[in-house]
Amino acid sequence: MITIDMLCYYSKLRYMNAMEKFTYAMLTLLFCVVSRSLAMAVLVLAVNGILTVRKGGIPFSRYWHYLMIPLTFLILSTLAVIINISPVPFDAAAVPLGTYYLTASYASIRKGIQMILTALASVSCLYFLSFNTPMTDVLSVLKKLHCPDLLVELMLLIYRYIFLLLDISFCISLSQDSRLGNRDLKTSMRSFGTMVSVLLIRAMARSGALYDAMEARCYDGRLQVLDEQYPPKRTEILWIFFFESLLFVLTIWSKLK
Amino acid sequence: MSETPILKAENIYYSYDNEKSHSLNGLSLEIFRGRKIAFMGANGSGKSTFFLCCNGINRPSKGTLYYCGEPYDYSRKGLLKLRSKVGIIFQDPDNQLFSASVYQEISFGILNLGVSPEEARQEVEQVIDKLEITPFRHKPTHALSGGQKKQVSIADILVMHPDIIILDEPAAALDPKHTILVNKIVDQLTEEGITVLMSTHDVDYALAWADEIVLLHEGQVLMQGSPLDVFTDKEILTQTNLAQPAVLQLFESLCKKGILDASLPLPRDLHTLEHYIENIQTSHNKEETNPCPQK
Repeated sequence: MITIDMLCYYSKLRYMNAMEKFTYAMLTLLFCVVSRSLAMAVLVLAVNGILTVRKGGIPFSRYWHYLMIPLTFLILSTLAVIINISPVPFDAAAVPLGTYYLTASYASIRKGIQMILTALASVSCLYFLSFNTPMTDVLSVLKKLHCPDLLVELMLLIYRYIFLLLDISFCISLSQDSRLGNRDLKTSMRSFGTMVSVLLIRAMARSGALYDAMEARCYDGRLQVLDEQYPPKRTEILWIFFFESLLFVLTIWSKLK
Repeated sequence: MSETPILKAENIYYSYDNEKSHSLNGLSLEIFRGRKIAFMGANGSGKSTFFLCCNGINRPSKGTLYYCGEPYDYSRKGLLKLRSKVGIIFQDPDNQLFSASVYQEISFGILNLGVSPEEARQEVEQVIDKLEITPFRHKPTHALSGGQKKQVSIADILVMHPDIIILDEPAAALDPKHTILVNKIVDQLTEEGITVLMSTHDVDYALAWADEIVLLHEGQVLMQGSPLDVFTDKEILTQTNLAQPAVLQLFESLCKKGILDASLPLPRDLHTLEHYIENIQTSHNKEETNPCPQK
Protein backbone atom coordinates (compact mmCIF):
# COMPACT_ATOMS: atom_id res chain seq x y z
CA MET A 1 0.00 0.00 0.00
CA ILE A 2 1.10 3.57 -0.63
CA THR A 3 2.04 5.10 2.75
CA ILE A 4 -0.36 8.05 2.67
CA ASP A 5 -3.18 5.75 1.68
CA MET A 6 -2.29 3.35 4.48
CA LEU A 7 -2.00 6.15 7.06
CA CYS A 8 -5.45 7.55 6.36
CA TYR A 9 -7.03 4.19 7.12
CA TYR A 10 -5.33 4.13 10.52
CA SER A 11 -6.05 7.76 11.37
CA LYS A 12 -8.24 8.39 14.40
CA LEU A 13 -10.04 11.06 12.37
CA ARG A 14 -10.88 8.55 9.62
CA TYR A 15 -14.48 8.16 10.81
CA MET A 16 -15.10 11.89 11.16
CA ASN A 17 -17.62 13.13 8.60
CA ALA A 18 -15.76 13.56 5.31
CA MET A 19 -17.67 16.69 4.34
CA GLU A 20 -16.59 18.36 7.60
CA LYS A 21 -12.95 17.53 6.93
CA PHE A 22 -13.22 18.63 3.33
CA THR A 23 -14.91 21.92 4.26
CA TYR A 24 -12.32 22.61 6.96
CA ALA A 25 -9.39 21.87 4.64
CA MET A 26 -10.70 23.85 1.69
CA LEU A 27 -11.81 26.94 3.65
CA THR A 28 -8.54 27.03 5.56
CA LEU A 29 -6.61 26.68 2.32
CA LEU A 30 -8.66 29.49 0.77
CA PHE A 31 -8.05 31.88 3.69
CA CYS A 32 -4.36 30.99 3.70
CA VAL A 33 -3.93 31.79 0.03
CA VAL A 34 -6.09 34.94 0.10
CA SER A 35 -4.56 36.52 3.20
CA ARG A 36 -0.89 35.54 2.59
CA SER A 37 -0.36 36.53 6.17
CA LEU A 38 2.67 35.22 8.03
CA ALA A 39 0.75 34.93 11.33
CA MET A 40 -2.09 33.06 9.71
CA ALA A 41 0.30 30.65 7.97
CA VAL A 42 1.97 29.86 11.29
CA LEU A 43 -1.42 29.41 12.99
CA VAL A 44 -2.69 27.09 10.23
CA LEU A 45 0.53 25.06 10.23
CA ALA A 46 0.32 24.62 14.00
CA VAL A 47 -3.39 23.71 14.04
CA ASN A 48 -3.05 21.24 11.14
CA GLY A 49 -0.01 19.69 12.77
CA ILE A 50 -1.86 19.25 16.07
CA LEU A 51 -4.93 17.85 14.35
CA THR A 52 -3.00 15.39 12.19
CA VAL A 53 -0.44 14.26 14.77
CA ARG A 54 -2.24 14.60 18.12
CA LYS A 55 -5.85 14.03 17.10
CA GLY A 56 -5.28 11.82 14.06
CA GLY A 57 -2.51 9.77 15.62
CA ILE A 58 -0.23 10.05 12.59
CA PRO A 59 3.40 9.61 13.75
CA PHE A 60 5.18 12.96 13.97
CA SER A 61 8.23 11.61 12.10
CA ARG A 62 6.03 10.63 9.14
CA TYR A 63 4.25 13.98 9.13
CA TRP A 64 7.54 15.84 9.36
CA HIS A 65 9.03 13.73 6.58
CA TYR A 66 6.12 14.52 4.27
CA LEU A 67 6.24 18.21 5.19
CA MET A 68 9.95 18.31 4.33
CA ILE A 69 9.33 17.22 0.75
CA PRO A 70 7.54 20.44 -0.35
CA LEU A 71 9.68 22.50 2.04
CA THR A 72 12.88 21.54 0.23
CA PHE A 73 11.31 22.40 -3.08
CA LEU A 74 9.90 25.68 -1.72
CA ILE A 75 13.22 26.79 -0.24
CA LEU A 76 15.06 26.11 -3.49
CA SER A 77 12.49 27.90 -5.62
CA THR A 78 12.13 30.86 -3.23
CA LEU A 79 15.88 31.44 -3.26
CA ALA A 80 15.42 32.74 -6.78
CA VAL A 81 12.94 35.31 -5.45
CA ILE A 82 15.09 36.36 -2.48
CA ILE A 83 18.52 36.56 -4.13
CA ASN A 84 19.18 39.07 -6.83
CA ILE A 85 22.17 39.89 -9.01
CA SER A 86 22.46 43.65 -8.99
CA PRO A 87 25.12 46.31 -9.53
CA VAL A 88 23.86 47.94 -6.29
CA PRO A 89 24.02 46.02 -2.95
CA PHE A 90 20.73 45.70 -1.05
CA ASP A 91 20.23 46.24 2.68
CA ALA A 92 20.20 42.66 4.03
CA ALA A 93 23.25 40.97 2.52
CA ALA A 94 25.58 41.35 -0.45
CA VAL A 95 28.38 39.21 -1.87
CA PRO A 96 30.50 40.98 -4.51
CA LEU A 97 30.83 39.17 -7.83
CA GLY A 98 33.14 41.36 -9.91
CA THR A 99 31.23 44.56 -10.64
CA TYR A 100 27.94 42.96 -9.53
CA TYR A 101 26.54 41.77 -6.20
CA LEU A 102 24.75 38.61 -5.18
CA THR A 103 22.38 40.46 -2.88
CA ALA A 104 19.15 40.27 -0.91
CA SER A 105 16.94 42.88 0.71
CA TYR A 106 15.03 42.54 4.01
CA ALA A 107 11.80 43.02 2.08
CA SER A 108 12.59 40.15 -0.32
CA ILE A 109 13.61 37.89 2.57
CA ARG A 110 10.34 38.70 4.34
CA LYS A 111 8.47 38.07 1.10
CA GLY A 112 10.30 34.76 0.60
CA ILE A 113 9.56 33.53 4.11
CA GLN A 114 5.94 34.59 3.73
CA MET A 115 5.68 32.65 0.46
CA ILE A 116 7.30 29.56 1.94
CA LEU A 117 5.08 29.55 5.01
CA THR A 118 1.90 30.30 3.06
CA ALA A 119 2.64 27.48 0.61
CA LEU A 120 3.58 25.11 3.42
CA ALA A 121 0.41 25.95 5.36
CA SER A 122 -1.63 25.34 2.21
CA VAL A 123 0.09 22.00 1.71
CA SER A 124 -0.61 21.14 5.35
CA CYS A 125 -4.33 21.65 4.67
CA LEU A 126 -4.17 19.09 1.86
CA TYR A 127 -2.09 16.81 4.05
CA PHE A 128 -4.74 17.07 6.76
CA LEU A 129 -7.32 15.90 4.25
CA SER A 130 -5.24 13.14 2.68
CA PHE A 131 -3.77 11.81 5.95
CA ASN A 132 -7.18 11.53 7.58
CA THR A 133 -9.63 10.85 4.74
CA PRO A 134 -9.63 7.76 2.51
CA MET A 135 -9.87 8.47 -1.19
CA THR A 136 -13.29 6.85 -1.43
CA ASP A 137 -14.64 9.36 1.15
CA VAL A 138 -13.11 12.26 -0.78
CA LEU A 139 -14.80 10.97 -3.93
CA SER A 140 -18.15 10.74 -2.17
CA VAL A 141 -17.74 14.38 -1.09
CA LEU A 142 -16.98 15.36 -4.69
CA LYS A 143 -20.13 13.53 -5.75
CA LYS A 144 -22.19 15.42 -3.17
CA LEU A 145 -20.69 18.65 -4.49
CA HIS A 146 -22.07 17.70 -7.92
CA CYS A 147 -18.70 17.06 -9.50
CA PRO A 148 -19.41 15.41 -12.91
CA ASP A 149 -20.25 11.70 -12.44
CA LEU A 150 -17.90 10.67 -15.21
CA LEU A 151 -14.95 12.37 -13.49
CA VAL A 152 -15.73 10.81 -10.10
CA GLU A 153 -16.22 7.35 -11.63
CA LEU A 154 -12.94 7.65 -13.51
CA MET A 155 -11.15 8.69 -10.34
CA LEU A 156 -12.66 5.71 -8.49
CA LEU A 157 -11.49 3.24 -11.14
CA ILE A 158 -8.06 4.87 -11.54
CA TYR A 159 -7.53 4.77 -7.78
CA ARG A 160 -8.32 1.04 -7.70
CA TYR A 161 -6.15 0.42 -10.75
CA ILE A 162 -3.14 2.15 -9.25
CA PHE A 163 -2.93 -0.57 -6.63
CA LEU A 164 -3.67 -3.43 -9.02
CA LEU A 165 -0.96 -2.29 -11.43
CA LEU A 166 1.47 -1.61 -8.60
CA ASP A 167 0.94 -5.19 -7.44
CA ILE A 168 1.54 -6.55 -10.92
CA SER A 169 4.63 -4.38 -11.46
CA PHE A 170 6.00 -5.48 -8.09
CA CYS A 171 5.54 -9.16 -9.02
CA ILE A 172 7.12 -8.67 -12.45
CA SER A 173 10.02 -6.74 -10.97
CA LEU A 174 10.56 -9.46 -8.36
CA SER A 175 10.51 -12.12 -11.04
CA GLN A 176 13.02 -10.13 -13.12
CA ASP A 177 15.28 -9.65 -10.09
CA SER A 178 15.22 -13.37 -9.35
CA ARG A 179 16.54 -14.01 -12.85
CA LEU A 180 19.26 -11.31 -12.73
CA GLY A 181 17.08 -8.98 -14.75
CA ASN A 182 18.60 -5.94 -13.07
CA ARG A 183 22.22 -7.09 -13.23
CA ASP A 184 23.53 -3.88 -14.80
CA LEU A 185 22.21 -0.70 -16.33
CA LYS A 186 21.64 -2.29 -19.72
CA THR A 187 19.62 -5.23 -18.41
CA SER A 188 17.77 -2.94 -16.00
CA MET A 189 16.70 -0.68 -18.85
CA ARG A 190 15.61 -3.66 -20.91
CA SER A 191 13.76 -5.22 -17.96
CA PHE A 192 12.01 -1.93 -17.22
CA GLY A 193 10.90 -1.61 -20.84
CA THR A 194 9.58 -5.17 -20.84
CA MET A 195 7.76 -4.56 -17.58
CA VAL A 196 6.07 -1.42 -18.89
CA SER A 197 4.91 -3.18 -22.06
CA VAL A 198 3.64 -6.17 -20.07
CA LEU A 199 1.89 -3.80 -17.67
CA LEU A 200 0.06 -2.19 -20.55
CA ILE A 201 -1.11 -5.56 -21.85
CA ARG A 202 -2.11 -6.70 -18.35
CA ALA A 203 -3.94 -3.42 -17.72
CA MET A 204 -5.93 -3.92 -20.92
CA ALA A 205 -6.74 -7.54 -20.00
CA ARG A 206 -7.72 -6.54 -16.47
CA SER A 207 -9.95 -3.73 -17.67
CA GLY A 208 -11.73 -6.19 -19.97
CA ALA A 209 -12.22 -8.69 -17.14
CA LEU A 210 -13.36 -5.94 -14.78
CA TYR A 211 -15.87 -4.67 -17.31
CA ASP A 212 -17.24 -8.22 -17.70
CA ALA A 213 -17.54 -8.54 -13.92
CA MET A 214 -19.39 -5.21 -13.72
CA GLU A 215 -21.68 -6.23 -16.58
CA ALA A 216 -22.39 -9.46 -14.70
CA ARG A 217 -23.75 -7.28 -11.90
CA CYS A 218 -26.16 -5.40 -14.16
CA TYR A 219 -23.86 -2.41 -14.83
CA ASP A 220 -25.71 -0.01 -17.10
CA GLY A 221 -23.04 2.62 -17.67
CA ARG A 222 -23.46 4.36 -14.32
CA LEU A 223 -21.41 3.41 -11.27
CA GLN A 224 -23.97 3.49 -8.50
CA VAL A 225 -22.51 2.81 -5.07
CA LEU A 226 -23.38 3.52 -1.47
CA ASP A 227 -20.98 5.12 0.97
CA GLU A 228 -20.66 4.40 4.64
CA GLN A 229 -22.32 7.15 6.62
CA TYR A 230 -20.53 9.04 9.37
CA PRO A 231 -22.97 11.73 10.49
CA PRO A 232 -21.55 15.17 11.25
CA LYS A 233 -21.20 16.11 14.91
CA ARG A 234 -22.47 19.41 16.28
CA THR A 235 -19.33 20.09 18.35
CA GLU A 236 -17.06 19.48 15.36
CA ILE A 237 -19.13 21.81 13.20
CA LEU A 238 -18.98 24.48 15.91
CA TRP A 239 -15.18 24.17 16.18
CA ILE A 240 -14.79 24.42 12.42
CA PHE A 241 -17.13 27.43 12.33
CA PHE A 242 -15.20 29.10 15.15
CA PHE A 243 -11.80 28.48 13.57
CA GLU A 244 -12.85 29.56 10.08
CA SER A 245 -14.46 32.70 11.52
CA LEU A 246 -11.17 33.49 13.20
CA LEU A 247 -9.32 32.99 9.92
CA PHE A 248 -11.87 35.18 8.17
CA VAL A 249 -11.31 37.99 10.66
CA LEU A 250 -7.54 37.58 10.34
CA THR A 251 -7.82 37.70 6.55
CA ILE A 252 -9.86 40.93 6.65
CA TRP A 253 -7.44 42.39 9.19
CA SER A 254 -4.38 41.47 7.11
CA LYS A 255 -5.92 43.04 4.03
CA LEU A 256 -6.89 46.27 5.82
CA LYS A 257 -3.49 46.59 7.51
CA MET B 1 -45.52 -33.33 -15.56
CA SER B 2 -41.72 -33.24 -15.43
CA GLU B 3 -39.94 -30.30 -13.78
CA THR B 4 -38.62 -27.54 -16.07
CA PRO B 5 -34.85 -27.15 -15.75
CA ILE B 6 -33.79 -23.80 -14.31
CA LEU B 7 -30.95 -23.70 -16.82
CA LYS B 8 -30.64 -25.60 -20.05
CA ALA B 9 -27.96 -25.52 -22.72
CA GLU B 10 -28.84 -26.95 -26.10
CA ASN B 11 -25.94 -27.73 -28.40
CA ILE B 12 -24.06 -24.49 -27.73
CA TYR B 13 -20.88 -23.41 -29.47
CA TYR B 14 -18.56 -20.59 -28.52
CA SER B 15 -15.35 -19.48 -30.14
CA TYR B 16 -12.79 -16.88 -29.07
CA ASP B 17 -11.07 -16.84 -32.47
CA ASN B 18 -13.71 -16.34 -35.13
CA GLU B 19 -14.80 -19.97 -35.29
CA LYS B 20 -11.26 -21.30 -35.98
CA SER B 21 -11.51 -23.35 -32.81
CA HIS B 22 -14.30 -23.77 -30.30
CA SER B 23 -14.09 -23.46 -26.52
CA LEU B 24 -17.63 -24.80 -26.33
CA ASN B 25 -18.24 -27.45 -28.90
CA GLY B 26 -21.89 -28.48 -28.94
CA LEU B 27 -22.40 -28.46 -25.18
CA SER B 28 -25.79 -29.62 -23.95
CA LEU B 29 -27.00 -30.07 -20.39
CA GLU B 30 -29.87 -29.46 -18.02
CA ILE B 31 -29.67 -28.09 -14.49
CA PHE B 32 -32.54 -28.31 -12.04
CA ARG B 33 -33.46 -25.87 -9.29
CA GLY B 34 -31.80 -26.22 -5.89
CA ARG B 35 -29.10 -28.62 -7.10
CA LYS B 36 -25.43 -28.43 -6.27
CA ILE B 37 -23.49 -29.03 -9.44
CA ALA B 38 -19.72 -29.39 -9.64
CA PHE B 39 -18.18 -28.68 -13.04
CA MET B 40 -14.94 -30.51 -13.51
CA GLY B 41 -12.49 -31.05 -16.28
CA ALA B 42 -8.99 -30.27 -17.44
CA ASN B 43 -7.82 -26.68 -17.89
CA GLY B 44 -9.26 -25.32 -21.13
CA SER B 45 -12.18 -27.74 -21.15
CA GLY B 46 -14.65 -24.85 -21.34
CA LYS B 47 -15.86 -24.46 -17.74
CA SER B 48 -15.26 -20.71 -17.43
CA THR B 49 -16.50 -20.05 -20.97
CA PHE B 50 -19.72 -21.90 -20.21
CA PHE B 51 -20.16 -19.90 -16.99
CA LEU B 52 -19.75 -16.63 -18.90
CA CYS B 53 -22.38 -17.88 -21.36
CA CYS B 54 -24.74 -18.67 -18.47
CA ASN B 55 -24.49 -15.06 -17.27
CA GLY B 56 -24.97 -13.70 -20.78
CA ILE B 57 -21.49 -12.18 -21.01
CA ASN B 58 -20.53 -14.58 -23.79
CA ARG B 59 -23.17 -15.18 -26.43
CA PRO B 60 -22.93 -18.60 -28.06
CA SER B 61 -22.38 -18.52 -31.80
CA LYS B 62 -24.69 -21.51 -32.18
CA GLY B 63 -27.19 -23.26 -29.94
CA THR B 64 -29.57 -21.92 -27.32
CA LEU B 65 -29.51 -21.36 -23.59
CA TYR B 66 -32.73 -21.41 -21.60
CA TYR B 67 -33.50 -19.92 -18.21
CA CYS B 68 -36.63 -21.46 -16.65
CA GLY B 69 -37.69 -22.74 -20.04
CA GLU B 70 -37.36 -19.36 -21.77
CA PRO B 71 -34.59 -18.88 -24.34
CA TYR B 72 -32.03 -16.20 -23.40
CA ASP B 73 -33.01 -12.70 -24.45
CA TYR B 74 -29.84 -10.81 -25.39
CA SER B 75 -31.50 -7.39 -25.48
CA ARG B 76 -30.26 -4.91 -22.85
CA LYS B 77 -33.40 -5.39 -20.79
CA GLY B 78 -33.30 -9.17 -21.15
CA LEU B 79 -29.67 -9.34 -20.04
CA LEU B 80 -30.31 -7.15 -17.00
CA LYS B 81 -33.18 -9.45 -16.02
CA LEU B 82 -31.06 -12.55 -16.57
CA ARG B 83 -28.09 -11.18 -14.62
CA SER B 84 -30.31 -10.33 -11.68
CA LYS B 85 -31.11 -14.05 -11.48
CA VAL B 86 -27.80 -15.63 -12.47
CA GLY B 87 -24.84 -14.34 -10.46
CA ILE B 88 -21.25 -15.21 -11.17
CA ILE B 89 -18.28 -15.05 -8.83
CA PHE B 90 -15.06 -14.84 -10.77
CA GLN B 91 -11.98 -16.90 -10.08
CA ASP B 92 -9.71 -13.92 -9.46
CA PRO B 93 -11.41 -11.44 -7.10
CA ASP B 94 -9.12 -8.69 -8.37
CA ASN B 95 -10.97 -8.96 -11.68
CA GLN B 96 -14.24 -8.40 -9.87
CA LEU B 97 -13.58 -5.79 -7.20
CA PHE B 98 -13.61 -2.39 -8.89
CA SER B 99 -13.98 -0.17 -5.85
CA ALA B 100 -11.49 0.62 -3.13
CA SER B 101 -14.18 0.44 -0.44
CA VAL B 102 -15.76 -2.85 0.67
CA TYR B 103 -19.09 -1.13 1.34
CA GLN B 104 -19.21 0.56 -2.07
CA GLU B 105 -18.23 -2.69 -3.75
CA ILE B 106 -21.04 -4.72 -2.17
CA SER B 107 -23.66 -2.04 -2.78
CA PHE B 108 -22.94 -1.83 -6.52
CA GLY B 109 -24.95 -4.85 -7.70
CA ILE B 110 -28.06 -4.29 -5.65
CA LEU B 111 -28.30 -0.61 -6.61
CA ASN B 112 -28.16 -1.67 -10.26
CA LEU B 113 -31.32 -3.70 -9.63
CA GLY B 114 -33.14 -0.44 -9.00
CA VAL B 115 -33.55 -0.95 -5.26
CA SER B 116 -33.86 2.19 -3.13
CA PRO B 117 -30.67 3.29 -1.30
CA GLU B 118 -32.32 2.64 2.09
CA GLU B 119 -33.25 -0.92 1.18
CA ALA B 120 -29.86 -1.47 -0.44
CA ARG B 121 -28.16 -0.27 2.74
CA GLN B 122 -30.13 -2.81 4.80
CA GLU B 123 -29.27 -5.62 2.39
CA VAL B 124 -25.59 -4.68 2.38
CA GLU B 125 -25.50 -4.65 6.19
CA GLN B 126 -27.20 -8.06 6.28
CA VAL B 127 -24.78 -9.67 3.87
CA ILE B 128 -21.78 -8.10 5.65
CA ASP B 129 -23.02 -9.66 8.85
CA LYS B 130 -23.85 -13.02 7.26
CA LEU B 131 -20.50 -13.48 5.56
CA GLU B 132 -18.53 -12.24 8.59
CA ILE B 133 -17.10 -9.27 6.72
CA THR B 134 -17.54 -6.87 9.67
CA PRO B 135 -13.94 -7.14 10.96
CA PHE B 136 -12.54 -5.81 7.69
CA ARG B 137 -15.42 -3.80 6.29
CA HIS B 138 -13.53 -0.52 6.78
CA LYS B 139 -10.38 -1.72 5.04
CA PRO B 140 -9.72 -0.73 1.43
CA THR B 141 -10.13 -3.64 -0.99
CA HIS B 142 -6.45 -3.47 -2.01
CA ALA B 143 -5.44 -4.15 1.60
CA LEU B 144 -7.54 -7.32 1.95
CA SER B 145 -6.09 -10.81 1.94
CA GLY B 146 -6.99 -13.27 -0.83
CA GLY B 147 -9.59 -14.97 1.36
CA GLN B 148 -11.15 -11.68 2.42
CA LYS B 149 -11.34 -10.54 -1.20
CA LYS B 150 -13.11 -13.79 -2.03
CA GLN B 151 -15.60 -13.22 0.81
CA VAL B 152 -16.34 -9.74 -0.55
CA SER B 153 -16.72 -11.05 -4.10
CA ILE B 154 -19.26 -13.62 -2.86
CA ALA B 155 -21.09 -10.90 -0.91
CA ASP B 156 -21.18 -8.81 -4.13
CA ILE B 157 -23.39 -11.46 -5.72
CA LEU B 158 -25.24 -12.73 -2.68
CA VAL B 159 -26.65 -9.28 -1.96
CA MET B 160 -28.49 -9.44 -5.30
CA HIS B 161 -30.41 -12.59 -4.22
CA PRO B 162 -29.89 -14.56 -7.42
CA ASP B 163 -31.57 -17.91 -8.13
CA ILE B 164 -28.34 -19.36 -9.47
CA ILE B 165 -24.87 -18.66 -8.17
CA ILE B 166 -21.90 -19.64 -10.29
CA LEU B 167 -18.57 -19.98 -8.56
CA ASP B 168 -15.54 -20.24 -10.80
CA GLU B 169 -12.94 -22.15 -8.77
CA PRO B 170 -13.78 -20.44 -5.47
CA ALA B 171 -10.95 -22.08 -3.57
CA ALA B 172 -8.25 -21.21 -6.12
CA ALA B 173 -5.18 -19.69 -4.40
CA LEU B 174 -6.78 -19.83 -0.96
CA ASP B 175 -5.16 -21.25 2.16
CA PRO B 176 -6.93 -24.16 3.93
CA LYS B 177 -8.54 -21.85 6.50
CA HIS B 178 -10.11 -19.63 3.85
CA THR B 179 -11.02 -22.65 1.72
CA ILE B 180 -13.02 -24.01 4.67
CA LEU B 181 -14.62 -20.58 5.15
CA VAL B 182 -15.62 -20.34 1.48
CA ASN B 183 -16.93 -23.91 1.53
CA LYS B 184 -18.99 -23.03 4.61
CA ILE B 185 -20.50 -20.08 2.74
CA VAL B 186 -21.28 -22.34 -0.22
CA ASP B 187 -23.01 -24.78 2.14
CA GLN B 188 -25.12 -21.91 3.50
CA LEU B 189 -26.16 -21.01 -0.04
CA THR B 190 -27.26 -24.53 -0.85
CA GLU B 191 -29.19 -24.77 2.42
CA GLU B 192 -31.11 -21.69 1.29
CA GLY B 193 -32.12 -23.55 -1.86
CA ILE B 194 -29.99 -21.51 -4.25
CA THR B 195 -28.80 -23.48 -7.26
CA VAL B 196 -25.02 -23.52 -7.08
CA LEU B 197 -22.76 -24.22 -10.04
CA MET B 198 -19.14 -24.55 -9.07
CA SER B 199 -16.05 -25.37 -11.03
CA THR B 200 -13.39 -27.12 -9.01
CA HIS B 201 -10.43 -29.45 -9.32
CA ASP B 202 -10.91 -30.72 -5.77
CA VAL B 203 -12.32 -34.21 -6.33
CA ASP B 204 -12.66 -34.92 -2.59
CA TYR B 205 -14.75 -31.81 -2.02
CA ALA B 206 -16.83 -32.43 -5.15
CA LEU B 207 -17.60 -35.99 -4.04
CA ALA B 208 -18.75 -34.88 -0.61
CA TRP B 209 -20.57 -31.70 -1.65
CA ALA B 210 -22.14 -32.07 -5.07
CA ASP B 211 -25.49 -33.57 -6.02
CA GLU B 212 -24.27 -33.89 -9.55
CA ILE B 213 -20.97 -33.76 -11.41
CA VAL B 214 -20.60 -32.42 -14.91
CA LEU B 215 -17.38 -33.52 -16.58
CA LEU B 216 -16.36 -31.29 -19.45
CA HIS B 217 -13.90 -32.26 -22.12
CA GLU B 218 -12.98 -30.16 -25.15
CA GLY B 219 -16.09 -28.01 -24.82
CA GLN B 220 -18.54 -30.87 -24.49
CA VAL B 221 -20.18 -32.71 -21.65
CA LEU B 222 -18.30 -35.97 -21.32
CA MET B 223 -20.41 -37.23 -18.45
CA GLN B 224 -23.12 -35.86 -16.18
CA GLY B 225 -24.22 -37.88 -13.23
CA SER B 226 -24.07 -38.53 -9.52
CA PRO B 227 -20.64 -38.09 -7.89
CA LEU B 228 -20.34 -41.81 -7.24
CA ASP B 229 -21.16 -42.70 -10.85
CA VAL B 230 -18.60 -40.24 -12.15
CA PHE B 231 -15.80 -40.93 -9.70
CA THR B 232 -15.93 -44.70 -10.09
CA ASP B 233 -15.39 -44.42 -13.83
CA LYS B 234 -11.60 -44.42 -13.94
CA GLU B 235 -11.35 -44.23 -17.71
CA ILE B 236 -13.39 -41.03 -17.82
CA LEU B 237 -11.38 -39.55 -14.95
CA THR B 238 -8.10 -40.19 -16.76
CA GLN B 239 -9.48 -38.55 -19.89
CA THR B 240 -10.25 -35.38 -17.93
CA ASN B 241 -6.95 -35.29 -15.98
CA LEU B 242 -8.71 -36.06 -12.71
CA ALA B 243 -7.77 -38.48 -9.97
CA GLN B 244 -10.20 -40.63 -8.04
CA PRO B 245 -11.11 -39.09 -4.65
CA ALA B 246 -8.87 -40.30 -1.82
CA VAL B 247 -11.80 -41.73 0.12
CA LEU B 248 -12.81 -43.98 -2.79
CA GLN B 249 -9.22 -45.08 -3.39
CA LEU B 250 -8.85 -45.99 0.28
CA PHE B 251 -12.21 -47.78 0.35
CA GLU B 252 -11.27 -49.81 -2.73
CA SER B 253 -7.90 -50.71 -1.24
CA LEU B 254 -9.45 -51.78 2.08
CA CYS B 255 -12.01 -53.91 0.21
CA LYS B 256 -9.28 -55.59 -1.87
CA LYS B 257 -7.41 -56.46 1.31
CA GLY B 258 -10.58 -57.95 2.76
CA ILE B 259 -10.71 -55.43 5.60
CA LEU B 260 -13.98 -53.91 4.42
CA ASP B 261 -16.93 -55.60 2.82
CA ALA B 262 -17.17 -54.60 -0.86
CA SER B 263 -20.95 -54.74 -0.66
CA LEU B 264 -20.99 -51.69 1.63
CA PRO B 265 -22.33 -48.51 0.00
CA LEU B 266 -19.53 -46.35 -1.43
CA PRO B 267 -18.51 -43.68 1.08
CA ARG B 268 -18.73 -40.03 0.01
CA ASP B 269 -16.55 -38.66 2.75
CA LEU B 270 -13.91 -39.67 5.28
CA HIS B 271 -16.43 -39.59 8.08
CA THR B 272 -18.45 -42.45 6.50
CA LEU B 273 -15.30 -44.46 5.86
CA GLU B 274 -14.20 -43.89 9.44
CA HIS B 275 -17.60 -45.17 10.56
CA TYR B 276 -17.14 -48.38 8.50
CA ILE B 277 -13.73 -48.95 10.12
CA GLU B 278 -15.16 -48.28 13.58
CA ASN B 279 -17.80 -50.93 12.94
CA ILE B 280 -15.08 -53.54 12.14
CA GLN B 281 -13.32 -52.63 15.39
CA THR B 282 -16.58 -52.93 17.36
CA SER B 283 -17.45 -56.34 15.88
CA HIS B 284 -13.85 -57.48 16.47
CA ASN B 285 -14.08 -56.45 20.15
CA LYS B 286 -17.40 -58.30 20.50
CA GLU B 287 -15.78 -61.47 19.12
CA GLU B 288 -12.93 -61.15 21.61
CA THR B 289 -15.24 -60.81 24.63
CA ASN B 290 -17.49 -63.63 23.39
CA PRO B 291 -15.11 -66.05 21.54
CA CYS B 292 -17.48 -69.09 21.47
CA PRO B 293 -20.90 -67.91 20.53
CA GLN B 294 -23.66 -70.45 21.19
CA LYS B 295 -24.93 -72.20 18.10
